[in-house]
Amino acid sequence: MGWIVISGFFACEGSDYEMSFIKVEALNKSFKVVKKENGLINSIRSFFNRKYEVINAINNVSFSIEKGEVVGYIGPNGAGKSTTVKILSGILTPDSGTCKIGNYTPWLDREKYVKEIGVVFGQRSQLWWDIPATDTFDLLKEIYDINDEEFIKTKNELISTLNLKEIMNIPVRNLSLGQRMRLEIAASLIHSPKILFLDEPAIGLDAISKEIVRKFIKKINKEKNVTVILTTHDMNDIEALAKRIILIGKGRVLYDGTLKKLKNKYDNYKYITIYTKDKLIIRNKAIVSKEKLPNGYKIIINSKIINISDFLSIISKKVLIDDVEIENENVDSIIVKLYEEFGI
Amino acid sequence: MRLYFKAFKLNIRSFMQYKASFILSFISQLITVFSYYFIIIALFTKFDNIKGFTLYEVLLCFGIIQFGFSFNELFARGLDQFDRLIIDGGFDRLLLRPKNIIIQVLSTDSDLTKSARLLESFVIIIISLIKLNLSWTFLKALTLILMLISSCIIFFGIFLISASYCFFTIQGLEFRNLLADGGKHIAQYPIGIFKKGILYFFTFIIPYGFVNYYPLLYLLGRKDNMLYAFSPLVVLIYLVPCFSLFYKACKRYASTGS
Repeated sequence: MGWIVISGFFACEGSDYEMSFIKVEALNKSFKVVKKENGLINSIRSFFNRKYEVINAINNVSFSIEKGEVVGYIGPNGAGKSTTVKILSGILTPDSGTCKIGNYTPWLDREKYVKEIGVVFGQRSQLWWDIPATDTFDLLKEIYDINDEEFIKTKNELISTLNLKEIMNIPVRNLSLGQRMRLEIAASLIHSPKILFLDEPAIGLDAISKEIVRKFIKKINKEKNVTVILTTHDMNDIEALAKRIILIGKGRVLYDGTLKKLKNKYDNYKYITIYTKDKLIIRNKAIVSKEKLPNGYKIIINSKIINISDFLSIISKKVLIDDVEIENENVDSIIVKLYEEFGI
Repeated sequence: MRLYFKAFKLNIRSFMQYKASFILSFISQLITVFSYYFIIIALFTKFDNIKGFTLYEVLLCFGIIQFGFSFNELFARGLDQFDRLIIDGGFDRLLLRPKNIIIQVLSTDSDLTKSARLLESFVIIIISLIKLNLSWTFLKALTLILMLISSCIIFFGIFLISASYCFFTIQGLEFRNLLADGGKHIAQYPIGIFKKGILYFFTFIIPYGFVNYYPLLYLLGRKDNMLYAFSPLVVLIYLVPCFSLFYKACKRYASTGS
């Protein structure tokens, strides 16, 4: 099908001779789905004579992740993100392929393995709805067999870093979405896991809650060397947290590497706003568009053709510049470009 | 098991959050089940026995089945509502935890209002036993206890089967109704009053007969064979396929994710 896979490189040293922490090789998973048909007659017919469709949710997915990395796992809806996370967390068994996390194969050593991981589903709660979160934490203590000392220590740490003190003793149903998400993350970390999976953690959060959550993820990654795998649509999350991204589309890995490299490849356009009282007449191959503003001009240039300082020096010879603003393209539009390029 | 008790306590606390609702449901449960007993009593005002079984013999039988059923509705509500757990994805969450999956499913929910039924069935059993005025021996007392336990076990097994069935169809309510409610309504009467085919079905396919018919015969002094006294133990064998079916279905879920 003519897939181009940008060769991935791993942001780690010594991965050649040292075993990676998470190693996924040639993972495949397909689902049999009942073909839906429109109309009452057709749906009655399909009730008796079902037609199945095989959907390849993920197709030959391979990657490896080192201990302490933060990886953004991104892709459009239906790309296979959740399926991968479900396989990595031991909920699903793949059709073929191998996956080694530490010494475990998630779907074979489920009960031992899940002690090592924490999972946050942005849309599903693990908190008891009608009672305060602190009771759910007590239950989790039982589930993970955490000893008292450890439990109190971790709990107090989580309370202070995630700012949970006031909301710990209020029934969960009375809390706001942002407060609940913070508790949700704390609940997933109460057993001090080595790996944290975050599936859409920022959905519906306000700016302050987002910031608290991001800071916290950075902190546990830095201080406790927790490996974080983050799936999200929010590119700002990725920019703030993950150096490395794995881009997946139609079940295949399309890109695996640093966000910076990706940006350099696609982020050629610079948005330059020049404030001046003079009239600017300029012709240059590098200019993609030029727009007159009341107090200056907004120009988009292709920085591959001309670099910014050269371009500015040309302009400064022509007009008197009061002020200049230079903006990069935002990550969202880069991702959109990528999707277009891969036809997903 | 400690996990289950802790979760049970939390479930009670959840219930207590809605006091008025709890009290009303409790009362309505009492009335609902009382109407079942009322039908039987009404029936016996016309006939003084059904194939040789008197009112209190039937009520005893009825009480024992109700006891087992409501015991499971109260303590195994999580299994009873298993389709919900599959639909809303809660089951995935349970798979992420390092504990036995059945214990976890049981921990998800307890329907405290069903304690009304449990209480009521217990009262009916006591009343029937007093009215029947049986000549008690140690073995008969043991038989009665075995009957109560096996009644709880058989419905647990049925709940397990219907939960396994949810893995395949997502919604399993009707199937459960066939096995549990349908079977329950028949088994509320001593099964011997029905035709041979029904007797065999509820002896060998779903062993309700071993819960409330064969031991009942011993309890009432109609059979003296010791085998009848210990026949409720047969139900334990029935649990084996129930558990294995559930675990098999669980494995299948992991490979389909449906």
